[in-house]
Amino acid sequence: MIKRLQDIIKKISQHLRLNTRLINYYWQRTRRNKLAVAGLAFIIFLVALGIIGPLFTLDPTEVNFEERDMPPVYLPSEQFTYDIQTGQYTTKEIRGTWKHALGTDSKGRDMLAMLVSGARISLLVGLIATGIAIILGTIIGVLSAYLGGWADNALMRFTDVMMTFPFFLLLVLIVFIFGRSLAIIVLAIGLTGWTGAARLLRSESLSLRTREFIVATKALGASDNRVIFRHLIPNVISLIIVIATLSIPSVILAEAALSFIGLGDTTKTSWGIILESGQNTLETSPWVAVEPGIMIFLTVLAFNFLGDGLRDAFDPKSNI
Amino acid sequence: MKNELNHKLIQIKNLKKYYPVTAGLFSRHIGDIKAVDGVTFDISEREIIGLVGESGCGKSTLGKTIPRLEEPTSGEILYRGTDITKLDKKGLRELRGEIQIIFQDPDASLDPRMTVGDSICEPLVIHNIDNEKKRMDRVAELMEQVGLEARQADLYPHEFSGGQKQRIGIARALALNPKLIIADEPVSALDVSIQAQILNLMMDIQEKFGLAYLLIAHDLSVIRHMAHRVAIMYLGKIVELANKQELFENPLHPYTEALLSAVPSFKSKGKGRILLRGDVPSPLNPPSGCHFHPRCHRVLHICSKEEPLLTEMAQDHFVACHLYR
Repeated sequence: MIKRLQDIIKKISQHLRLNTRLINYYWQRTRRNKLAVAGLAFIIFLVALGIIGPLFTLDPTEVNFEERDMPPVYLPSEQFTYDIQTGQYTTKEIRGTWKHALGTDSKGRDMLAMLVSGARISLLVGLIATGIAIILGTIIGVLSAYLGGWADNALMRFTDVMMTFPFFLLLVLIVFIFGRSLAIIVLAIGLTGWTGAARLLRSESLSLRTREFIVATKALGASDNRVIFRHLIPNVISLIIVIATLSIPSVILAEAALSFIGLGDTTKTSWGIILESGQNTLETSPWVAVEPGIMIFLTVLAFNFLGDGLRDAFDPKSNI
Repeated sequence: MKNELNHKLIQIKNLKKYYPVTAGLFSRHIGDIKAVDGVTFDISEREIIGLVGESGCGKSTLGKTIPRLEEPTSGEILYRGTDITKLDKKGLRELRGEIQIIFQDPDASLDPRMTVGDSICEPLVIHNIDNEKKRMDRVAELMEQVGLEARQADLYPHEFSGGQKQRIGIARALALNPKLIIADEPVSALDVSIQAQILNLMMDIQEKFGLAYLLIAHDLSVIRHMAHRVAIMYLGKIVELANKQELFENPLHPYTEALLSAVPSFKSKGKGRILLRGDVPSPLNPPSGCHFHPRCHRVLHICSKEEPLLTEMAQDHFVACHLYR
C-alpha cells in the first residue's frame, strides 16, 4: 500500500519535473535545523487551523453583549457595569469560562473564533500578496538578467524608482485612493513588494546565464522561452522559495499595521483588525489586543525560522 | 582518405572578434580587446585540428564564435560554402545541429535540475525529431555509445563522476548527428586517469561517425595523441599551422619552440628548455609589430615594427614570423 503510494508520488513528481531525490536531500538538511522544523510545524498547524478550524469554533461575527469583555478561561477580570435601577456604577468580578476559552471582546464576540478565522484571512493575505510579488519579481528579475542591455537597464531603473518610494506610505496612499477592501490591500502589497525579489533573482540569473549548461542549450538552438522556463527558472526555484518564505511575515505585518492605523478592511476579521479593535479596551480587557499580537508574533517568527533553515539547506556551501 | 581530407567543412577567413571596452558615465569607447584578431584557417571533413595556446590567447573565444555563440566582429565563416555569419535565426537553428560544443567543465555543462536522460534528449526535443518513444530509444542508444548504461538516464548529474558527466556531455553533443564538434579543453578538468578514457572515446566516435573536431587545448600531449593538424595561437592570431608530425618535429615559430620545449618528452633538438619571459601581454594593448616580440628569444630588429603575416614555408606548413622571410 505504502509502496503504491510512493510510486504514485514518484509518477506525479516526475510529471511535474520535480527532483524527488534532491527534494529529499534538502529535506534532510532542513530537518537538522530544529527551529526550522518547529517553524514548519507551526505553519502546518496554522494552515490546518485556517482550513478546518472555523468548522469547530463559534460564529466569529456573533455579537452578544451579555457576555462581553470576558477574560480567557480561569483568568479573573473586573467588569464595570452601570446599574439602571440604582443609577450607580458597580464593579463585578468575573472569571473566564470554557465557553469562551480565550475570552470575548467588547461586543461579546468569541476571541478563539475570531483568531481562527483571522488565521485564514491573514495567511491568505500573506500567501496571495507574496505570490503576486514573487511572480512579478521573478518575471522582471529573470527577464532583466536574460535580455541584458537596454532592457536590463530600463527594468532595473524602474525597480530603483519603485524602491525609492516609502513602501508603507505608498500602501496607505493606494488604500486611501482605492478603498479599504481586502482585495485592494492584497493587490497593493503584491504590486509594491516585488522589488527586492526582482533584484535578488536578477543577480542569481546573471550568474546562471553564463554557466555552460545554458550556453550548451543555446548551442543546441533552443528558444529563449525554453532556456528561461526549462533551465533558468528551475535553477532559481530554491531562491524563490526562500524569498517567498521570508517575505510572507512582512506582508502579514504590513496588513496588520494597515489595520492597526484604521485602514484595514473592517468587514474581514484579520488579526490586524482584531488588534485594532482591542486598542480602546487595552486597560480593561488587554487580551483582545494581546492574543492576535501573540499570533502575529508567532507566525512571523515561524516563517522566519523556516526561511532561514531553507536558505541554509539550499546553500551547498553551508555545513549544517 | 586523402580525398576526403581535402573536402573543406569549415573555412574561416580573417575572422575577428573584438570586445569593446568602455569607460565613464557615457560609456566612451576607449579601445577593443582583440580576442580573435584576423584568424584564417579551414577544417576538412573528418579532420581533427588542434588549437593550442596559453590561457587568454582567444582560443575559447574562437571556438564559441564558429557556431555563433559569440557574434563575430568581422570576417567570414563558411560551413560547406554557406556563410554562417550571414545566417538568419532559422538558418542558425538548423546550423546548430551541425556544429556542437563539448565544454571544459562537465559539472557546469549539465543542468543540475534535469535528469541526464532529459539533458541528452533535449536536442531532439528542441529540433522536434521523432516521437517520445523513439527519443527514449535514441537516448538509450547514445548513452550506450558513450559507455554509460541506459538505465542511468533517470539519474541527476550530481550522481555521476566527472568522467561520466563528460561522457553525458558527449552523448548530448552527438544527439543531432553533427559534422563538427568543437571540444573546448574536454579533459583538462578531469583526473589524468580518466583523461585517456575520454580521449579514446572521442577518437572512437570520430571514426565511427566521421566527425571533424576542433580540439582546443593547452596540453600538447593531448594534441599529439589526437590531432591531424595543429594551429598555435598567440594573442588572437594563429602564429603557426602545420601537420602534427611536421609541427612537432620541425617547429618554426619561436613560440612553438618554447611551447614544445616545455613538454619534457619532446625537447626540441637538444636545445634544452626555452624559458619565456613575462606573461601574455594584455590583448587590449598588444605589443607593436609581432605580438610575441617582447618575449621572443630570437627577436630581430624588424619584429617590433612590422607585423609578420602567416605564410606557407613548406608544404602545408604556415608560420607568421620574420625569421623565415
